[in-house]
Amino acid sequence: MVKKILTLLMLVLLPAKTIGAEILRPYGPVSPVETLRKLNHLLLGNWPDEGREFISFIVAFKNYYFYVLIGVLGVLFLHYLIFGPRRFEHRGERIFYYGLFTRLVHWGAALSMTLLVFSGLATLFAKILGGGSLVMSLRSLHVGAAFAFAPFAILLFLALVKDMVPAFYDLKWFLVMGGYLSRQPRPVPAGKFNAGQKMWFWLGTAGGLVMFYTGYKLYQFTAPVSFLREMLKIHLYLGLAVLALYFIHLYMSLVAIKGALKSMLSGYKDSEEVALMHPKYYEKVSKD
Amino acid sequence: MARMKFLCDMERCIACHGCVVACKEGHQLPVGINRRRVIIINEGKPGEKSISIACMHCSDAPCIAVCPIGALYQREDGIVLVNKEVCIGCGYCFMACPFGAPQFPRGNAFGARGAMDKCTFCAGGPAPTFSEKERRLYGQNRIAEGKVPLCAGMCSTKALLAGDGAVIADIFRERVARRGSGQAWGWAKAYKE
Repeated sequence: MVKKILTLLMLVLLPAKTIGAEILRPYGPVSPVETLRKLNHLLLGNWPDEGREFISFIVAFKNYYFYVLIGVLGVLFLHYLIFGPRRFEHRGERIFYYGLFTRLVHWGAALSMTLLVFSGLATLFAKILGGGSLVMSLRSLHVGAAFAFAPFAILLFLALVKDMVPAFYDLKWFLVMGGYLSRQPRPVPAGKFNAGQKMWFWLGTAGGLVMFYTGYKLYQFTAPVSFLREMLKIHLYLGLAVLALYFIHLYMSLVAIKGALKSMLSGYKDSEEVALMHPKYYEKVSKD
Repeated sequence: MARMKFLCDMERCIACHGCVVACKEGHQLPVGINRRRVIIINEGKPGEKSISIACMHCSDAPCIAVCPIGALYQREDGIVLVNKEVCIGCGYCFMACPFGAPQFPRGNAFGARGAMDKCTFCAGGPAPTFSEKERRLYGQNRIAEGKVPLCAGMCSTKALLAGDGAVIADIFRERVARRGSGQAWGWAKAYKE
């Protein structure tokens, strides 16, 4: 009897126990907590590290655009009320300012940029438009306009970059706010383009290409979600700056400085205007 | 009111993908829209485990928080739904979701994203219940019919549980107790390596 039990122990139970320990054990019950911990990264990716921050970012940004839009438009309106538009005689000597290529590229970029700004705003303020297919089509337009804008941004960059290099006197221009905070036009420190124009140029071309890349990644939507979150943040921050400077540029060229629009159509600027607003360039031209 | 929940029992899930196929077929979803998916670890090795994941219908759902247009909303029973007629397909919800639940169809103008699609807990959508529009936009409304979600109903090992959170928690607790998986709770298990 004892021998039989011992044999059973030796031949069946012991090997079964050993095999069970080696092979079957991993298939046995494991704490779900342990398994979930292993699965966590596959399930959630980087969400535990950045998800909360991303959500508060988006929620806050909904309002930033509204504030900036209202703020910029309000400030420009006040500026118009207080200081009024600038008029130059446009009777004196004319100075050739923008070549045909520059003008064509400018208007190409301007048109696509306008589509981009307004379709972008429509996407952001979709709630006012009621959302749905209307905003969805405007979002598609945003994509189309971006592809139209990108080549113009590159050409505009190549056409103007030599006159857009930042200089020391640009700081002084910022200190006097371009002389725009006075009714009487006084000469301001600026070359062919003033510091404000340079800022808009770099944001529009270099920043525009960053906007294009980040926007393209968001349009593809195939990158890892963590990367997409970064792209969206960059896109929204830069978009905020583009929005502000776009409206300032629009105000300056269409409302505040009479004749600015004409100069971008004909290519000629009034010499009096150049002498006051771009004195360093005026000196250079006068010498020649 | 009952709080609707999903729970996938990883000791029972055999990665048969039955839930995925059931969901796709039942709601006639196009290729590329995966309301439910199965994730496997240690595939083909000892310790292989799988879990079926869809929208978890979170309380205080991140997708609702970031939606710029309020297309997402939560029902009283906790089910998170999307109004596809309002959604603009911006994709914020996908970036805010911990589980990658929101899905976006392709093929509109310029190949841009269409309206978001996600698990509805088989509860249809904001369109009138049992209407043709609801079926076309959101799929079946099995909850209104008094049935469990198709994925859970189809699950061959009953690993995927769906329904009143209190009830499925009871079922799961009983299973864990029966299996005797040892101590499955406490600080050391949860937070220590």
